[in-house]
Amino acid sequence: MMSLPFVLFACAIGAAWMRHRGVSMGFWALGLVAMLVLFRLHFTEVLMIQL
Amino acid sequence: MSADLSRLLNAVGLLAISTVLALAFADQLWFRDLPCPLCILQRAGFFAAGFGVALNLILGPKPSHYGIAIIGAIAGGAISMRQILLHIIPGTGHYGNDVFGLHLYTWAFIAFAAIVVGCAIMLLDDRQFSRAEPMSVRLKALPLSALLLFMTLAIANIFSTVALCGAGLCPDAPKDYMLLDGM
Repeated sequence: MMSLPFVLFACAIGAAWMRHRGVSMGFWALGLVAMLVLFRLHFTEVLMIQL
Repeated sequence: MSADLSRLLNAVGLLAISTVLALAFADQLWFRDLPCPLCILQRAGFFAAGFGVALNLILGPKPSHYGIAIIGAIAGGAISMRQILLHIIPGTGHYGNDVFGLHLYTWAFIAFAAIVVGCAIMLLDDRQFSRAEPMSVRLKALPLSALLLFMTLAIANIFSTVALCGAGLCPDAPKDYMLLDGM
């Protein structure tokens, strides 16, 4: 599951290489969403910033 | 600035991003400094940002491509800032080796900030976006090698992450490659 953003970004670069701009932007957006969802899932530790 | 000069500068930028990713890989393989989940997501952030730069190389410079790079860098920067804040108080530990006194997540934040600043500076010149100047269709050596290196690193990160975390989420502090451990 953690490799999903890399897969989507690789697909985005591949689509851009084939000059399918819209498809590549779609893959990039999905990759960004996957990245942020995974970030949220790992947002478990509480920050210790009180002095 | 001509479109070709813009493409050259974008190629240098993409090579710089690829160098950061390659150094992270070298640290992982050479020093066995296995990446934590947030570290992996920061790598993904570099791909999100680098994709905008890659679009400038493949399809020609456009403001929207710089926007993509900036959005990717902000997302990656947020993740690295989160990791910096986790360890900001003395005595709360750290993750991984340090390089020149700073940990990799701190360097990552600096690099993401540099990408945002670099894109903002590039956006100042409108002449690169004009259609009056014809742009060479075939990619030259430097942009082509930058793109190939970036693509190779993306594929290498897919395999590395699958080997490290398997099909699920990564452990907070991985000690070994999960996939290789089961063999």
